[in-house]
Formats: sequence, C-alpha cells, structure tokens
Amino acid sequence: MWRDLVDLLWQAYEQFGFLPLFIQVAFSLIIVAILATITAYSSILYKRYQAYVHEKRLNFITPKLEDLITEQVLLNEKLSMGVPVDEIEFDPVPLSDKIYKKIWVRQVMIDVLIQYRKNFRGDVGELLRKLYIDMELTKDSFEKMKTMRWERKIKAVIELTQMNIPISDVTILPLTNSPNPLLRAVARNAYIQLSKNEPFKFFDIATEPLLPWDQLEMFRIITTTKDIMIPNFSRWISYSTNKSIVAFCLKLIAHYDQKTAIPAVMDLLNNKDHYFRAEAINCLGKLSAEIAEVRLVKIYEHQPLNCQIEILRATGMIASGKYLDFLKHELMYSTNFDIRMAATRAIINHDSDESAAIIKEVMNTTYEENRIIIKHCLNPLIRN
Amino acid sequence: MANILVVEDDEIMLKAIKNILSKDGYNVILAKNGKEAFDKLENADYDLVLSDLMMPYANGLEVISRLKNDPAKKHISIIIVSSVGNEETITEAFRLGADDYLKKPIMAGELLIRIRKLLANRAIRHSL
Repeated sequence: MWRDLVDLLWQAYEQFGFLPLFIQVAFSLIIVAILATITAYSSILYKRYQAYVHEKRLNFITPKLEDLITEQVLLNEKLSMGVPVDEIEFDPVPLSDKIYKKIWVRQVMIDVLIQYRKNFRGDVGELLRKLYIDMELTKDSFEKMKTMRWERKIKAVIELTQMNIPISDVTILPLTNSPNPLLRAVARNAYIQLSKNEPFKFFDIATEPLLPWDQLEMFRIITTTKDIMIPNFSRWISYSTNKSIVAFCLKLIAHYDQKTAIPAVMDLLNNKDHYFRAEAINCLGKLSAEIAEVRLVKIYEHQPLNCQIEILRATGMIASGKYLDFLKHELMYSTNFDIRMAATRAIINHDSDESAAIIKEVMNTTYEENRIIIKHCLNPLIRN
Repeated sequence: MANILVVEDDEIMLKAIKNILSKDGYNVILAKNGKEAFDKLENADYDLVLSDLMMPYANGLEVISRLKNDPAKKHISIIIVSSVGNEETITEAFRLGADDYLKKPIMAGELLIRIRKLLANRAIRHSL
C-alpha cells in the first residue's frame, strides 16, 4: 500500500513539470499553506501541553511550599518568643528534601517567597529572606543573571531586589546602561534600592536615556525607599552629558529643595536647548531662588515663548516683590494670551498688599479680555 | 473564641493570614472576594472582618458600606488590609465605617495586636 502511494507521488512529481505555470504556483502555495498550518497547530499544541504540565506541577508543589513556609516562618515558635531573626535556625529535615534540589521546584519556591515578601515585612519578612538565603536560592538567581536572555536577567534582578540581596557593581552597573530599555529600567531601580552608599552612582556612566515612564517609576522608588542616601544632584547637572539624567536631576533638586544646587541650575540658563532652559527656570522657581530672579528677568526678552512663560511662573513662585512692575507690564501690554495668563497668576501668587493693589488698578484700567483673565485667575475653584 | 472573616483575593495572603490568626486561637473563615464575603456574612455571625480593598465582584469599600448600612451587622468591626495607600481611599474607608487600616506589606505581630485591641474595645462597649 505504501509502495503504491510512493509511486503515485513520484508520478505526480514527474508530471508536475508539464503542468501550466499558474497550476504549479497554485499547487506550491497550497503545499506551503498546509505546512504552515501544521506547524502553527503543532506549536500551539506544544505550548498548551507545556502550560498544562506547568500548571500540574504548580498544583502539586505550591501547597507543599506553602506548608513549608507556614511551618518554618509564619508559625515559627522562636519568632513569637522574640528570638532575633539572625539567630533562628530552620528545621533541616524538611529543607533537605530531595524535591527542593529540582530547578523548577526552586524557581516556584522563589516565586512563592517573593509573593509572601510582598505581603509581609518586619520579622516575618526578614525570616522569609533568611529562608531564601539558607536554601541557597541566591545561587539560582545569580545563575540566571549570567544568561544571555534579557528576560531571565530581568527576573533575576527582580528576585534579588525583592529579597534585598546586594548585587556587586561589576554585575549590575553594566545592566543599568543596557541598550534594552526594560532591562535598563529594572537594573537602575534595583541599583537605587540595593546600593546603600551611592544609590545614584549609575548616573555617572549612563549614556542611554532615562525614559519618561522610567523617571516616574524611579521617582516613586526614590521617594518611598527607606534610608536612601540622597546626594547633591547638582553634581550631574554640571557634569552629565546625558540630557534625560540632567532633566531628572532638576526634578529631584526641586523635590528635595536642594538650594545649594542653585548656581549649577543657573548655569543651565546658557544652554542652547530651550526645553532644557525651561526646565531649569521651572526648577529655580520651585527652589524660590531669589538670587536668580534678576537674571531671569534680564534674559526674558530673548527667550522663546515656553521659556518666557516659565520665567513668569518662576517670578510668581519666588515672589520677592521686586518685579511686580515687570509682571504688570506683561499683563497689560503683551499680545500673547498665555503670557498675560502667566503674568496675572504670578502677580496673584505674590499674595501681598502691593500685588492686590496692582490687580485692583489693572482691573479698573484695562480692557475687557484682561479683566476676564484676572477674574479667571482669582477664582479659587479653578486650579492654577 | 472570636469569629473572623478574612476577605482577600490573593490566595497566598489568605492562607497566611488564616494560619497566623488560627495560631492565636481565632476561628477564621475565608472569602476570596466581596461577593463571597456577602454570602458568608448572611449565614453566620462574625466579630471582625479583615478585608482587602481591591477585589473582583465587590471591593473592600463596598463590603464596609454594606456592613455598616445593615443594622443587624453594623456592630462588626472592620480592619482594612491593603496595598492601596493613597489618602483619599484611606479616608473614604474610615468615612464609611472602617475601624482600622493596615498597609501591605504588613507585620504579623502588629496585625495581631490591632485585632486583640479592637476585640477588647468591642467587649468593653458591649459590657457597658
């Protein structure tokens, strides 16, 4: 029977060359489509089988691991007796079970421990970390860091960060400047959380950009991580060639109100990039840098619109009262609507008798549109 | 022995809290979401509800609201255990009637102390 089938296929193959071209093309396409369908279907089946096996393994091992953690950590008698975590020794019998030597079990163990660590801090959190170390799971995580696959590296960095295990600079610093944006972001966040003395050292070598979303995440980590060493960020303002790092440092300087950084920030007013200048002006305003006010007003005329608006805002935030006439002039004579809005808000922000008198005077002398602007800015229900 | 209903969608946390509270001598009943919690609250009397905020079907705020608006159940104390830490949500939880708020990650010892204290205050109120 097989012989007949082979003969038939051979005859078909021999006749294939004598068929019209469009039949040959159509036939080839059909064969390719059938092969592609078979490949795709096999791949789907294989993936499903893998997921099924994984699920089955998880269902088998997770309750065991949970029992182990409950016995060794949550219900640990020594913990409730007040014994320091470092002095607590785990029962070696359950920990030496052969099943915990298997790589996939160890990975599930790490995942479960991390899940517990996310929910518990204090002594329980520290004992979970001790269990991770005593079971030598750190080795598994560090092994993953050596692979070439970036997603496995990310997993390893997250595991070590969650377990608060220090990573040497030689290993982590190159990752903070990885061309892969995901790996880079994870490594940078890990560096801030794990480095005790210089959490921002990677700023020195960063040539890859700090993306806006990563800045948000990093800002959250910096402001929520306990006992983080906050350096003087003016160092990177002066020396870093990475624009995104400088922009981020400007935000941090404003957040931590680092007034010593004012001279370095003022140097950025000479920068050719006007977006950069605008950020520096904004930072000076937030720092209430009265020393910079005279310079800001001096450069005002030659700035593009975004910088001019930032200068008006900064003058309002500094609110020294020395430049109320300048603000009044911009409110009354500028032809640009946004400039007049910013100038009005800046005058109101001064919150002094002088500024109130100016507002009153302008209200009585100016034209209708300006009066509407002033009323709008004075409305406490409208956020500036 | 006080009856405590734990409402939490994270199974690991659910079991962990059960183990911690059971060890301290409480009778612990578990619910995986707000809807399941409502069913269990209908069928038994509880002294305290320990609830997460972000859950499927009905969130923690709905659980508090439902409990505190039911005259037969408004006496039940409520502790919120959640990773949500923004002031608005915490204020809203207290406004609706939550008695305490613990932010995840929690400390097991602190949880037990707060529960003991709430139940003790409740017992004093009852005896007056």
